[in-house]
Amino acid sequence: MSLPNQKPELEGTDIQRRAAREAAACGREKPIAKPGSAPISVWVLAACGLAAVSAGAILGGAGKGFDYNKIFRDGYVRTPPPGGSDEGPPPKAAMDAYMARGKKVWSSKCITCHQADGKGQGDNFPSLVGSAWALGETERFSMIVLNGLHGPMSTGKIYSGASGMPSQNATNDLKPEDLAGVMTYVRNNFGNTKGDVVTVDMAKAAFSISAKRTKTGQTTVEELTAEHVKDLPGKPLDPKAMVNPLTLMPVFAKTAPDAAAAKKDKTPEAPAPAAGTTAPK
Amino acid sequence: MSSDTPISTAQDALTRSGIDRSLRHPVMFFLMSGSAWLAISMLLGLISSVKIHNPDFMSDCATMSLGRVYAAHVNTLVYGWGMQAAFAMILWLMARLSGKECSMIGSILTAGHLWNIGIAIGVVGILAGFGTGMPWMEFPPFAWPVLLVAYAVIVIGSFIQFRVRPEGGAMISQWYLLAAMIWFPWVYLTANILLHCIPGHPVMAAGINAWFKSGMVFLFFTPVALGTVYYITPKVTGLPIFSNQLAKIGFWSLAIIAPWAGMQKLAGAPIPIFLPYVGGAATALIFIPACAAAVNNLRSILANRETLALSPALRFTFAGLISLVILVICGVFLNLPNSTLKASQFSMAGYSAEILAMYGFFSFVIFGAAYFIVPRVTRREWLSRRLIRWHFLFSVYGIITVAAVALIGGYLQGTDQENWELPWMTAAQTGAAYAVAITFAWCMILLSNFFFFIHLTLMWLRLGRRGPNPTLLTNPHAADALDSAAH
Repeated sequence: MSLPNQKPELEGTDIQRRAAREAAACGREKPIAKPGSAPISVWVLAACGLAAVSAGAILGGAGKGFDYNKIFRDGYVRTPPPGGSDEGPPPKAAMDAYMARGKKVWSSKCITCHQADGKGQGDNFPSLVGSAWALGETERFSMIVLNGLHGPMSTGKIYSGASGMPSQNATNDLKPEDLAGVMTYVRNNFGNTKGDVVTVDMAKAAFSISAKRTKTGQTTVEELTAEHVKDLPGKPLDPKAMVNPLTLMPVFAKTAPDAAAAKKDKTPEAPAPAAGTTAPK
Repeated sequence: MSSDTPISTAQDALTRSGIDRSLRHPVMFFLMSGSAWLAISMLLGLISSVKIHNPDFMSDCATMSLGRVYAAHVNTLVYGWGMQAAFAMILWLMARLSGKECSMIGSILTAGHLWNIGIAIGVVGILAGFGTGMPWMEFPPFAWPVLLVAYAVIVIGSFIQFRVRPEGGAMISQWYLLAAMIWFPWVYLTANILLHCIPGHPVMAAGINAWFKSGMVFLFFTPVALGTVYYITPKVTGLPIFSNQLAKIGFWSLAIIAPWAGMQKLAGAPIPIFLPYVGGAATALIFIPACAAAVNNLRSILANRETLALSPALRFTFAGLISLVILVICGVFLNLPNSTLKASQFSMAGYSAEILAMYGFFSFVIFGAAYFIVPRVTRREWLSRRLIRWHFLFSVYGIITVAAVALIGGYLQGTDQENWELPWMTAAQTGAAYAVAITFAWCMILLSNFFFFIHLTLMWLRLGRRGPNPTLLTNPHAADALDSAAH
């Protein structure tokens, strides 16, 4: 076989021979033809149109506007799961729910002074264990929590020097649920066994009473004994009644009027199974 | 290229052959290491699939826990196989289409080794428990700049070749390849910087991550595969692409639509409400570019059925295009936010779509192109038509099983997940039965890639058959022999 690359100039047949030997695969290739201009099939257009329509339907589901601040669809209403009801998180017995909320408030706001066991600290912070003012009339108790207390106690003792207990409403931005929870917690914990629930409605009443006070600043023993030795107004709540653990409201109070009417006949038996068996999994 | 005299044809062939020879080492390096990673990825996919239905399998070994094995499986598939296969395609096609020999072999091979070392360390990092937990970005954070630098070195030559290409407009393949070469660093850099360097709100980070996954599929792997298809189809069939208009529509609609897709995976999460809906709509709209490209190529392929029966390249390309069509139809039907999206969002169905895109579509197209390219760069013919046929059949049956089973099983699993009255365990058990079938399918795909890897290794060692005739799937009839030699 001749070696074409040793010759100074390749002749045509040599190029062909060399191509056949060295570039067999490339030699049998076909050239790429220029793309044609056949009309686009109607079926392709129809299929693409269909895809575009369904994409439009998907996009339409978002409501209008490209709004970065909007997390929910316009007019979005949480729909209950099929076969279930829409009463928020699984309900809890009132005492458990209020105690859970109270524990949260206690451990973030009260625990620093009154300590984890509620016994306070000697000369500075009074103990709440068995305290008549905590376990007694709820309005007096709520006024202390909301507005604070200073000056001599009924025993004549002065805690924390002149400053006394600060107003928890002013310093901690309490919500009625927090007040109700923490009062229930104190009255049923640390060995206290009052057994009743200070409801959210009572706590709301406490806020309005506190707002109408004639005196400003922290309360004193004189003011409390003169004006606030009574229980907060409001219907008592059965500690075993089922409540929403977030709002602390009884589970059937929140539904819309027509739904409530429809449910009226079921109401007496409904709370019982809700206690555990049908909680969402 | 020019007039049809035998001498000019022979000269053209020698020119192309020279280009191919210059690319022998880079192309074979990326195909070889890519297919090795593919085999590893399939093995890891098999292990993770077994663990879905048989959780006690290797449960004593922390390295082999599902969260690590699955992450290693996906990342080796994407970066080990997918990216390297794409490099081989980009290097070869851009050189061929620009008519320029590759002149940066040393730096490309160096960067290629850097890439492989980066992935190897990254995979060891994942298995050792240092993964980031972000899907498709699980490599420990040090890896991504390494990979990006390696990428830049590997493709820079192809940019230059395109810049100095001969007079005349760019070909359709070049649009897609060039776009992919630009879009990859954009998507990769955006996601990695936003997630690793300036982390924002974690929920939004999950959204960016979902966008990244979608961007990798539709802004890199899809255009690379389509660019390859637009070359292989006219080259092997000898027929023109039917419509230049349709090709343009397909390309620009992909460019406009694909960047919006991905966030539908976060539907229901507290991110701005329009993002998942835009993502779902864009994913449905990807039907348009995919349909345009698939129809354009399938018409040419189906107009030359003799070649389809003979040519391994065309057979694999054809199967890849069918997978693409199925994928985008699923894209329309699985992203309806108020019905199907909930069932596909957290179930096997999403995984199935990823495998359909990465294996059913992208890998099949690459296999087809590899059967065309490797004989040219090694100047040897494939050894065994039986190995090619087995590769095809096991892969096809495997991917059909994965796609069908994971779609149906995933949908049922997702429906069970959505049913709040059923315990989560029920949904897992529903999925487990289908996971057994997926394990079986992974076995088939692993086997098929074993055939491919062996075959490719023999070709790499230049142990292929010498001779002028191609290895075809069946013996051509005498009358067709001349035509079939086009392959």
